[in-house]
Amino acid sequence: MTVFRSLERRIAVVFVGLLVFVMVLMLLIVGRSSEVIIGAESQRQLAAGARNFSNLIERDRRQLELAASVLAGDFGFREAIATQDRATVLSVLRNHGSRIGARMMMILSLNGEVLFDTRRPAEASHTFLFQALLDRAKQEERSGDVVLMEDMRPYQIVIVPIMAPVRTAWVVMGFPVEDTWAEEFSRSSGLDVSVVSAAGGIRASSLPPALRQALTAVQWEALDEQPKQLTLAGYHYHAVSLALGSQARVLLMLSLERSEAVFRNLEHILFIIAACSIGLFVVGSFSLARRIAGPVNHLVRAAQRFEAGDYSPAATVSAPDEIGQLAASFEHMRAGIAAREQKISRLAYEDTLTGLPNRTRLTESLSALGPDDHAVIAVLDLDRFAPINDALGHRVGDSLLQLVGSRLLEIMPQGGMLARLWGDEFAFLIEKAEPETARQFAERLLEALRKPIDIDGQKLDVSGSIGMAFYPDDGCDMDVLLRRAELAMYAAKQRQCGCMFAAEVGEGPPPEQLSLIGEMRQALECNQFVLYYQPKLDLAANQVVGAEALLRWQHPERGLIPPGNFIPFAEKTGFIREITPRLLEDIAAQAASWRERGMQLVLSANLSARDLLNPGLVRLMRELLETYGLSPQALCLEITESALMEDPMLAQAHLAELAGIGLKLSIDDYGAGQASLAYLKSLPVHELKIDQSFINSLALSPKDAAIVRSTVALGHALGLSVVAEGIESQTDLDWLREVGCDIGQGYFIARPMPAADFSAWLTRRALI
Amino acid sequence: MSKWVLAALPVAMLGWACAANAASINAMVRTPDGIPVEDAAVVLNPASGMPRPALRRATIEQRDREFQPYLTIVTKGTAIDFPNRDPFKHHVYSFSPPNVFEIKLYADKPAKPILFDKSGEVVLGCNIHDWMEAHVLVVETPWFAKSGADGSATIKHLPAGAYRLRLWHPRQRAVVADVKVELKSTDAQHFDMTIDVAPRAVVKKPPPDAGGY
Ligand SMILES: [Cu+2]
Repeated sequence: MTVFRSLERRIAVVFVGLLVFVMVLMLLIVGRSSEVIIGAESQRQLAAGARNFSNLIERDRRQLELAASVLAGDFGFREAIATQDRATVLSVLRNHGSRIGARMMMILSLNGEVLFDTRRPAEASHTFLFQALLDRAKQEERSGDVVLMEDMRPYQIVIVPIMAPVRTAWVVMGFPVEDTWAEEFSRSSGLDVSVVSAAGGIRASSLPPALRQALTAVQWEALDEQPKQLTLAGYHYHAVSLALGSQARVLLMLSLERSEAVFRNLEHILFIIAACSIGLFVVGSFSLARRIAGPVNHLVRAAQRFEAGDYSPAATVSAPDEIGQLAASFEHMRAGIAAREQKISRLAYEDTLTGLPNRTRLTESLSALGPDDHAVIAVLDLDRFAPINDALGHRVGDSLLQLVGSRLLEIMPQGGMLARLWGDEFAFLIEKAEPETARQFAERLLEALRKPIDIDGQKLDVSGSIGMAFYPDDGCDMDVLLRRAELAMYAAKQRQCGCMFAAEVGEGPPPEQLSLIGEMRQALECNQFVLYYQPKLDLAANQVVGAEALLRWQHPERGLIPPGNFIPFAEKTGFIREITPRLLEDIAAQAASWRERGMQLVLSANLSARDLLNPGLVRLMRELLETYGLSPQALCLEITESALMEDPMLAQAHLAELAGIGLKLSIDDYGAGQASLAYLKSLPVHELKIDQSFINSLALSPKDAAIVRSTVALGHALGLSVVAEGIESQTDLDWLREVGCDIGQGYFIARPMPAADFSAWLTRRALI
Repeated sequence: MSKWVLAALPVAMLGWACAANAASINAMVRTPDGIPVEDAAVVLNPASGMPRPALRRATIEQRDREFQPYLTIVTKGTAIDFPNRDPFKHHVYSFSPPNVFEIKLYADKPAKPILFDKSGEVVLGCNIHDWMEAHVLVVETPWFAKSGADGSATIKHLPAGAYRLRLWHPRQRAVVADVKVELKSTDAQHFDMTIDVAPRAVVKKPPPDAGGY
């Protein structure tokens, strides 16, 4: 029932319902009781009325008899009667009769002859009709009854003797039983009084004419002294019938409507009281319910707000009762949750170092953009952060990032967002930006970074490169947009032109590669990057002296992905900087493991230009050697010729440092680049690896063979050992041994293999 | 008044004169149950030649709120005095057709006696005291007697001759038939007579100390 959904209604409905129930019950009981009481009361009243009526009749009779006796004793009356003069006697009878209201007067002789009759003065004497009454009078000195006269009209008559002083005659006095008579009795008994003759005619009644008419239809015979129900012209009565004298009956009726009227009145009052109290109760219980449910509803609404993520404080419920306590607990809970959520969201959406929004936050804001919005994503990467961080330490680096963040924040346009993506990479999200305003913004950014940053009194020069991508022109997907902006940034960095738009850089890598960064990051976390090792054979001693660690991506869906398919991209996007340290550590661990088992192998790792230019590399290598207890000669770092050429000076400086540690260094893919001999000569390297394109074409191109031969010679001349990779045949191997190439590497010797297989392979080779 | 008192004397003398050669009758009046009846009138009417009655006087006193005596038998033409012996007034009346009269409230003795000159039964009442009742039987003959408490009535000094003996009582239930009587000069006849009498009407007399009226 929906009515009971709300506490307020339920309380009110239950309370009011109970009261209504009680009231209805009370009214029903009162109604029922009053019916019973009316029934009993009306019977009692009727019985009392009937008794009263009999008493009244008796009293009336006595009074009449007394009056008649007094009259009969009147001397003048007796004297006049004694005259026996007809006219005189009649006139005396009339005169004295009128004194007591008798309408009929008779003088009877002692033996019952009617001597005089006021109604029929001229009539001769005749026998008195009611001898029985006379006989009773002879016995009792007087008698009275209600009788029907010759004209069938009822009379109350009394017979008293005329004493002079002995009984000399009888005087009969008659009083007509008329409506006035009935009305008088009705007044004194409280009942409706009707007189009916034995023959059935209504002779007198206190009832109004209409009811008297209805009374003629009543079955008299059915009525007696016991109260019976009687319906008269639609009105209800209790009625009894009593004998009135020997020839008439009197019908006494009590109107139920009149009896009920009192109770109806009581019921009306009760009903009004009930209605009023229900009304009061409705108001009262609603207000009580509201007082109870109001705070609860308040809490419910507050809880709904919390659910929706609104943790603003609810208006407090200050009641001292349980609800107040609940509200207080609720408020504590709210504050706790709000604090925790704030903390969580800060952790989730904020960069802890700078306090700026993080990448996740930025991504969400990007996702929130609608199809009609316009926005620009600007990715900024600091150009000179790495050397600063390396030279001055992490604390300075961190401070620098914080200062840069706050400086960027200063120039951020209204409504924009500044996030730190990672490392020294920041991103702006600016809505409703056009290319022109975006470019101006980029100019301001670069301008802002041109001012040196002061850290502990040290002025540091930082510059940055910016890449911009427009929503939705350059893509709607946030990953795509961010990636394209990053690509544009890399392009700008490469060209050192400050800022580039994604549109100017082009589509960039195929979509497959766009998602590559994410996948690579995941691969790194899930150890999908594995190292394969390819043996390096000392050609003169025909002995395995080392192995080159080659990166493989064991992709869960695409299988083994060759390094050519992702390394260039990783290098281009800089992700390689995240991969390389892990690889280096793995290699160091492997070298240590093998050396422990007596395998004195020099393991080579490939470094990209980015890795090489990373100022932290030297420290990393030093830590690895220390951690794994390796001698520096156990590891060799291979750097491609093109990597060296990205920043030859810095590369040279770093190589010098690495060599200073004692690490072996190798120039990879030698011959493919444009490194000058003079430059090579200045590098502290120990090994030259001839680009395998030369080795592959040894048998076909004498020219390449010549180059190889001269390169070997050149290497030896510079004091370097020369490595040939890509050896695919015995012929090539033999030829290379012949020209003095120190070390060989290639499928013919062995394919790259997982570390576990490598040791097995090595054991097998030793047995041969 | 004194003239009436003197007139009574010859009657007494006449009675004494006839006493020597007179007959007498004695009647014993009882109810059918044999109870002696008081105040019954025994009257002898001569069969022929009614003597001229002498004028007589009689007295009915009102004493102690009662008539005294209850029954008075008089010869026609008798004047009756109604002396009041009570300290308050009475109002004596009679509505009996032979002698209707009324002596309105009086004390002591009324100025005139009432003359009863028609024979018949007269009922006396008092308008003030309803229970007061007295009867006067006015007869033609001078020979009559009233029974005493023992029911006995005696008539003396009767001349011989034929008579009709009448028995009457104020409260008799029925008329008793006359009895023919032959009297010799010295007879003394006795009659046992029966009459049915109603008890005296119960009109209660209040005690005198209740007001003394
Ligand atoms: Cu009197």
